Amino acid sequence: MTVPQLEVRDVTVRFAGLTALDEVSFTVTPGTTHALIGPNGAGKSTCFNVLSGLYRPASGTVRLGDTDLTRLAPHRIAALGVARTFQNIVTTEGTVADNLMLGRHVLSRAGFAASALHLPRAVREQREHLARAREIAELAGLDGHFDTPVALLSYGDRKRVELARALCLEPRVLLLDEPVAGMNAAERVRMAEVIQHVRTELGLSVVLVEHDMGLVMRLADEVTVLDFGRRIAHGTPDEVRRDPEVLRAYLGTAAGEEDAA
Amino acid sequence: MSDRRYLKPAAAVALALVLCLPPFYLDAFWLRIGLFSVAAAIGAVGLSLLSGTAGQLSLGHAFFLAVGAYGYTWLAGDPGPGLPTALAAVLAVLLAGVAGGLFSPVAGRLRGVYLGVATLALVFLGHHLLLTADSVTGGFNGRSVPPLTLGGFGFTADDPELTVLGVPFGAEERLWFLGLALFGLTWFTARGLLRSRPGRALAALRDSETAAAVMGVDVARYRSAAFVVSSMYAGLAGVLLALAFRRVVPDYFSLALSVDYLAMIVIGGLGSVAGATAGAVFVTALPLLMTRYADQLPLVATPGTEDGGVGPTEAARYLYGAAIVVILLYAPDGLHGLARRVRARLRPHPAPAEQTPASTVPSAPAVRPKEHTP
Repeated sequence: MTVPQLEVRDVTVRFAGLTALDEVSFTVTPGTTHALIGPNGAGKSTCFNVLSGLYRPASGTVRLGDTDLTRLAPHRIAALGVARTFQNIVTTEGTVADNLMLGRHVLSRAGFAASALHLPRAVREQREHLARAREIAELAGLDGHFDTPVALLSYGDRKRVELARALCLEPRVLLLDEPVAGMNAAERVRMAEVIQHVRTELGLSVVLVEHDMGLVMRLADEVTVLDFGRRIAHGTPDEVRRDPEVLRAYLGTAAGEEDAA
Repeated sequence: MSDRRYLKPAAAVALALVLCLPPFYLDAFWLRIGLFSVAAAIGAVGLSLLSGTAGQLSLGHAFFLAVGAYGYTWLAGDPGPGLPTALAAVLAVLLAGVAGGLFSPVAGRLRGVYLGVATLALVFLGHHLLLTADSVTGGFNGRSVPPLTLGGFGFTADDPELTVLGVPFGAEERLWFLGLALFGLTWFTARGLLRSRPGRALAALRDSETAAAVMGVDVARYRSAAFVVSSMYAGLAGVLLALAFRRVVPDYFSLALSVDYLAMIVIGGLGSVAGATAGAVFVTALPLLMTRYADQLPLVATPGTEDGGVGPTEAARYLYGAAIVVILLYAPDGLHGLARRVRARLRPHPAPAEQTPASTVPSAPAVRPKEHTP
């Protein structure tokens, strides 16, 4: 599986006069982890919503390899191998298996007629995808919970369900919106291990929005810093950490910072 | 474990056999109750798929039932093309599906209560059409329904004469088996849908359209597909109802019928095939039973008398109104959820045994103070 380069160029998003993203550009090198950081309201989630097709930018382009994602509907972008998780967990009712099988949607074919009639083709397809979903559940650290209703799981496990569901798309680019928000220290460490593990195991690119600087510094190969919708810094974690602009943006809004988690 | 694997199919076969018995023991009254219940169950499964699974509120189910019932009557009848009845039945179901599909531009743009009100318009539109398009629908008086004939076998009293094990098979007995077969088909297909890719996509729509879209579900397509499939089940129910009534009249397909179907799926439990069936039987059979036994029930007036009691149909409505309130308060997941909980309580032993290894395997600090503030 070749992972194409994800290129965001001059993306601008406006909401009724408010400029949420102002000509933001960055490039995610294939197979790396790219962190997107910034104080609250910096436009990180907006950026994710543009990447996954939920928002249309006023100008600018998002390209995955040779494909222009900017005008594509979310489900088409998902089919191209861009999967994401949400800041506040969005799972469907039912078991972990049900949720992960939703992630297999674009990779499977069975339609209404084939499923209604239990055609052998549909039954076989379902069985194969179920086996793969079970593997991914183990990869994400959900072993033993495959048939548990999601509602009964702990917060950390539900976060892992979201990650596993995104992985079920066999994505080439994985967008993680605050994957460790609200977790305790042990759960954070575990989640970081899982992210690291799936990245090397599956060889995908990861774009990470996160407030936990420890996690960002540990996982990220490159960091883009946003503040009030503008890119104020870019570079390796070490470069960004010493950048005076970044320090100012963070210290200036340090009080608001704690609310994010 | 291996014993349990055969338990379910065995139970299904046993149930099917038991359901074949009524025509040999019960009279036409009970068979008719059964037939109406089965027809309602088919329609309720369709609505459950739409409103329960896909989360799209529809008050227009009566319209799609009418399309099935009148579609069959017109296609098989005179005036009308006078097609072979079996073909007319299939076409009527497809016609209902098409009607659902035609509504999808509206369904695709509206959510929640707004969608409910839009579907409400369908009922009024349909009712108006049924009253005014005389040449097709027969107007206020409706039309008589041509009986179904399958390969020379008529679902009527005497075409051909048929006696099984000493029981003469009239229209009710024959239609009972037809109803069972169609219900079996509904059960089979709806379970298949719900437990596979399309069903999960529909459930994802209900829980979050954003998440569904990001997971690759074509939201607009699945929203309209839900309407099409649900309308086809409604159409099938309409055909069966028409055959059971032998006459279709506009006033039957009113808003009250749509509300009855909503009551069925709420009482039964949203999004469950078994629940929709149970709810359908409850809502359909109750008024019929109360009418039959009105003279023996306290506070219920015998039909046609003026002794100041409540009429049996109204009494039945009070009862299922009360049932809905009780269910919403104490068992929001309906009869289906209630049954599941009772089952879980009846065999408490395997449950903890399964849970213990599952809860010890993952990370130890599973219990954790809530640390995130809003």
